[in-house]
Amino acid sequence: MPLPTMTHSSAFLLPAAAPPSNDAAATTYALIVLNQRLPRFAPLVWARARLRVCADGGANRVFDGMPELLPGEDPAEVRTRYKPDVIKGDMDSIRPEVKEYYSSLGTNIVDESHDQDTTDLHKCVSFITSNLFVPDKSNLCIIVLGALGGRFDHEMGNINVLYRFSNTKIILLSDDCSIFLLPKTHSHEIHIEKSVEGPHCGLIPIGGPSTSTTTTGLRWNLDNTSMSYGGLISTSNIVDGDKVTVTSDSDLIWTISLRH
Amino acid sequence: MLWRTVRSMDVMMHSSSFLLPKMHQSANKPVKNYALVVLNQHLPRFMPRLWAQANLRICADGGANRIFDEMFQMTNDEDKKSTRNRYIPEIIEGDMDSIRPEVKLFYSSQGSKISDKSHNQETTDLHKCISRLHRYTPDHEKPNLCVLVTGALGGRFDHEAANINVLYLFSEMRIILLSDDCLIRLLPKTHRHELYIESSVEGPHCGLFPVGAPSTSTTTTGLKWNLSESKMRFGSMISTSNIVQSEKVTVQSDADLLWTISLRNLA
Repeated sequence: MPLPTMTHSSAFLLPAAAPPSNDAAATTYALIVLNQRLPRFAPLVWARARLRVCADGGANRVFDGMPELLPGEDPAEVRTRYKPDVIKGDMDSIRPEVKEYYSSLGTNIVDESHDQDTTDLHKCVSFITSNLFVPDKSNLCIIVLGALGGRFDHEMGNINVLYRFSNTKIILLSDDCSIFLLPKTHSHEIHIEKSVEGPHCGLIPIGGPSTSTTTTGLRWNLDNTSMSYGGLISTSNIVDGDKVTVTSDSDLIWTISLRH
Repeated sequence: MLWRTVRSMDVMMHSSSFLLPKMHQSANKPVKNYALVVLNQHLPRFMPRLWAQANLRICADGGANRIFDEMFQMTNDEDKKSTRNRYIPEIIEGDMDSIRPEVKLFYSSQGSKISDKSHNQETTDLHKCISRLHRYTPDHEKPNLCVLVTGALGGRFDHEAANINVLYLFSEMRIILLSDDCLIRLLPKTHRHELYIESSVEGPHCGLFPVGAPSTSTTTTGLKWNLSESKMRFGSMISTSNIVQSEKVTVQSDADLLWTISLRNLA
């Protein structure tokens, strides 16, 4: 019985003026901002999202960072425009004046300081999947800023959220790259937007080895190849075409570089 | 020697004393031989301290640009030229596609050995540097060798993943990846581990991750949330945002684990 196919697209990274592909038109995006410096394309992905959630100190980053990324505009006007819908988490990082500012604008402040068992990202993803109504769940895509770099245990915890919510499309973005999970339950088609991403890419078996992975569309394709930490993992690979396919017996992390 | 036998499994001891200023290090601890590998990302704030610890400094390709450009702001030197003359790597290794020509010329004129491996595209720059250290360190000196690496974390995720894989590929060597925020080491399943915490410069945040394969049984002491024959795997429970509560943390597991601890007071 062949595996069902899951398709992936980074069309949300295209400039707003570009006509959306059919994929982009059907997809509902939600945005989560964690507590690290905003990447330079933050205003672009903000505009794509139907729902914007800041995890605790992520609100400081939006407050400080959006005016910096839009230097030609009046900072006060920028702050009003880039107002999160929800601020969620244990509230130990958000500055009091930032919390006050967004709360006065109508942002929903959800204090989770009683729950120390799950990470801020986990709480935000749970919130979105419970509260954002999407007719077809496979059309929901959650974009996350600030999940990579910084403290390594935070990064690992954020990557673990991809594995724990393996039925939800979640993409972690930094200035340098994008990563998302390719669950073993599906065969994957990754559509490459060459103007904004690539060519460097990789497939990483975090969490467990793969005895068989097969790809097309890469410079060095895998053909029923084994991958593991301590053995081969696919890094510094190159996307050769517009479409990459991946089938594996193990969950894999796909990563692709973003163009500057 | 930092090995002794407890029951049937050898104990491996770990210390971050290299993060302390040299004068604060205990005279009683065995003298380790540090090598420093500099990869091509922003230098951590405490780079001069690492440089002073190391007997051998290797820049991986564009890591040489970083030393050339960024050391000055971390020193009290009068001018960039004095800094550049003081911080000369012994070796510059890699495929040489990132190092600027003037940087390469400067260091080679100052005596750095330029080891051009551009014909070898199979392995990462970090892998080449660690291979060199593995090849040229005599066996009897290997247990005392500790490799400090900067610039391996952050940036492109596939680079970071490959750099972490180097820890697994050379699991018999002590290799520590350092950033401004934290350090990571591999704790091989073949040993029981004792981690001596230098609380003036590291902690309290820490974690343990079964990156290569799940663990069906991990036991720790010295943490706020200790594990007791606990299972860990991606998709389920992994130990993040844990807290060190003792000067000594012990870890025993049936899987190779990555240990991380936050760094502080190192500016």
